[in-house]
Amino acid sequence: MAGQTVALVGRSGSGKTTLLRLVNRLLDPDSGDVLVDGQSTRAWDPIALRRRTGYVIQDAGLFPHLTVAGNIATVPRLLGWPEARVAARVDELLTLVGLEPGTYRGRWPDELSGGQRQRAGLARALAADPPLLLMDEPFGALDPITKGELHAEFQRLQRTRLAPHSDALRSERRGGGQRSVILVTHDMAEACALADLIAVLHEGQLIACDTPAQVRASDDPRVRALMGIS
Amino acid sequence: MMELLAFIASHRAEMATRLGEHVVLVAASTAIAAAIGIPLGIVAARRPSLSRPIVGLANLAQTIPSLALFGFLIPLPFIGGIGTRTALVALTVYAVLPILRGTITGLQGVPPAVVECAVAMGLTPRQVLRQVEWPLALPSIVSGLRVAVVIGVGTATIASAIGAGGLGDYIFRGLAMVDATVILAGALPAAILALAADAALAAAGHLADPRRRSRRHGLVLAAVAVLAIVTAVSGRTFAGRADLVIGSKNFTEQVVLGELMAQAIERETGLTVERRLNLGGTAIAHAALLSGGIDVYVEYTGTALTAIFNAPPSADSEQVFALVRDRYASMGLTLMPRLGFNNTFAILVRGEDARRLALKTVSDLAGAVKSDATWEAGFGYEFLERPDGFKGLSAAYGLPFAAAPRVMDLNLIYRALAAGEIDVTAGDATSGLIDTLGLAVLDDDRHYFPVYDAAPVARASVMLQYPAAAAAIRRLAGRVSAADMRQMNFAVDGEKQDPGRVVRAFLLNGPAAPPPSAPVPIPQ
Repeated sequence: MAGQTVALVGRSGSGKTTLLRLVNRLLDPDSGDVLVDGQSTRAWDPIALRRRTGYVIQDAGLFPHLTVAGNIATVPRLLGWPEARVAARVDELLTLVGLEPGTYRGRWPDELSGGQRQRAGLARALAADPPLLLMDEPFGALDPITKGELHAEFQRLQRTRLAPHSDALRSERRGGGQRSVILVTHDMAEACALADLIAVLHEGQLIACDTPAQVRASDDPRVRALMGIS
Repeated sequence: MMELLAFIASHRAEMATRLGEHVVLVAASTAIAAAIGIPLGIVAARRPSLSRPIVGLANLAQTIPSLALFGFLIPLPFIGGIGTRTALVALTVYAVLPILRGTITGLQGVPPAVVECAVAMGLTPRQVLRQVEWPLALPSIVSGLRVAVVIGVGTATIASAIGAGGLGDYIFRGLAMVDATVILAGALPAAILALAADAALAAAGHLADPRRRSRRHGLVLAAVAVLAIVTAVSGRTFAGRADLVIGSKNFTEQVVLGELMAQAIERETGLTVERRLNLGGTAIAHAALLSGGIDVYVEYTGTALTAIFNAPPSADSEQVFALVRDRYASMGLTLMPRLGFNNTFAILVRGEDARRLALKTVSDLAGAVKSDATWEAGFGYEFLERPDGFKGLSAAYGLPFAAAPRVMDLNLIYRALAAGEIDVTAGDATSGLIDTLGLAVLDDDRHYFPVYDAAPVARASVMLQYPAAAAAIRRLAGRVSAADMRQMNFAVDGEKQDPGRVVRAFLLNGPAAPPPSAPVPIPQ
């Protein structure tokens, strides 16, 4: 699974977001364990776990009182990076997500379009180069053209594995340069386009977990309903 | 307007002191309220189950009328008593609600998605509060602070009634003197202070907002901060504790008598004197004396007998004096020799009514009221409540007013009578307004009203500590006749003269009128 992109697909209320929030301990399981790097989330220090887990939600959830740069710099500053390194990382990430640093560094979140906000949110989640990235309907509120652009951007990022440009960063990465992504979406087409594996949830139960091709070929009516095929 | 400027020019130093006291009162109470309200607001915003009782309690406190709250606080230990401390407690009580509300509203207005992201990014609860929730809630908290400060500037004017000083001194003094200029001298600076404080906090709020931060806001804030510190410091330097604190109740005669004692002590001894004039009534002045908030004020023997010691009223001057002196002595207070006049109640009607109906006595009035149901009476709060007030009077004379008497501020009854809003009232026999407004005093032909001989009452320990001051007060014995008092009251109420100047002239020239034919005996 390491380095792969897994899409959680299902109807509203099927438990996708709940499952995602179990991973970074925003929620604790009622029973059983959620393992991250082979260790139960209950055993993880929640703060340490979250700082190595990127999190992107619909409409980005940017801090409205901070500039784009301030938003991206939040976690690096918490980790005590020197300001010069923070600034370099901000520009690096802005370039990576397709926002020109000189133009967007000092912008306020409400001065951005929906797609730009989503790019900034992605840059913020990647700031400390986390080995795991959680995305909750990150493209849900975008128009089809913007969504398409961002899909392409995301695929490019995953292909290049978001390789950090500096050696210092690369040596810090514990996940060996590989980033796993869990992507929540109700859009099966999006899941097929972006994910290596698709997990289908129905009323809190996992009813399928396979490659996009296998899932697409499923004859389970609940899966087919999600794909818009009856 | 010119009168106001002249008044301000001639009272510069005192106004600086009062303004300083006002700023300190409001700034300190708002700071304390913020220290209480903001943490409480944070707790309430996090736990909705606690929010309801917390906000409910603050709401309840807000509904207590300010004078009533001061009244509740006076007898309490530690936080009560008279003066700045009690005023601070009351002002803090009022300031908590807007700050609490602002904090809760601000925190609840932070978008949940933003908080969720902050948590998911690995911010500790403390970091979420400090780096995300606090800056986003700040505009709302600042507006809460602004409301609190504006309320505080207004409410602090009432703090004057319990001797906390501030600009309210001028408002109460102006009301007592029926002098709009003096009222304005308190009200106008208070209004300007409220606007300045509001502007300063607005600028501070903008400074805290990184997107609207500008040099202009910084300048506004710096200017107001410097102004506040200068006035506060200048207020402090003037407000250093004096050797003796002279008090008075809140009407002209009391202010004049307080000024009289203060100037006598200043002229005859080297002691420094602080004036806490305009205390809001007998109960407050007495409480102030007991708690050491003031060291001496002039009381009337009949008032002490009935209102403080709850004894039945009496018309025997010597007996009342001896009785009251003993009662005071048992609580560590010394009743000094009487000043020389008896300020009994006077039943007043308009001069033209008295002439038209040939009213000379209260019995004549009772007859007139019986034949005409439209007679309307109005009295001060104290007169309606006291056993020697309206109840006894109507029993003694059988005054059959058709409607219940109206309750009015003591300072307004003379004008209300002259303006025809009421037809009968009970005023002070020594009021300068009686002559000014052409009112007629009806003779108390059944000798209902007991004696009210004016006499200073002082803390015994302070009189022992400063025998020179005690001697200076004793030398005032028998020096103020009823005519003197009426003349000085008229000089202040009618001629709008400054009480300090009137008293200075009186002490220099001696009694202006010839002594009364039957001088009041002075026991020593």
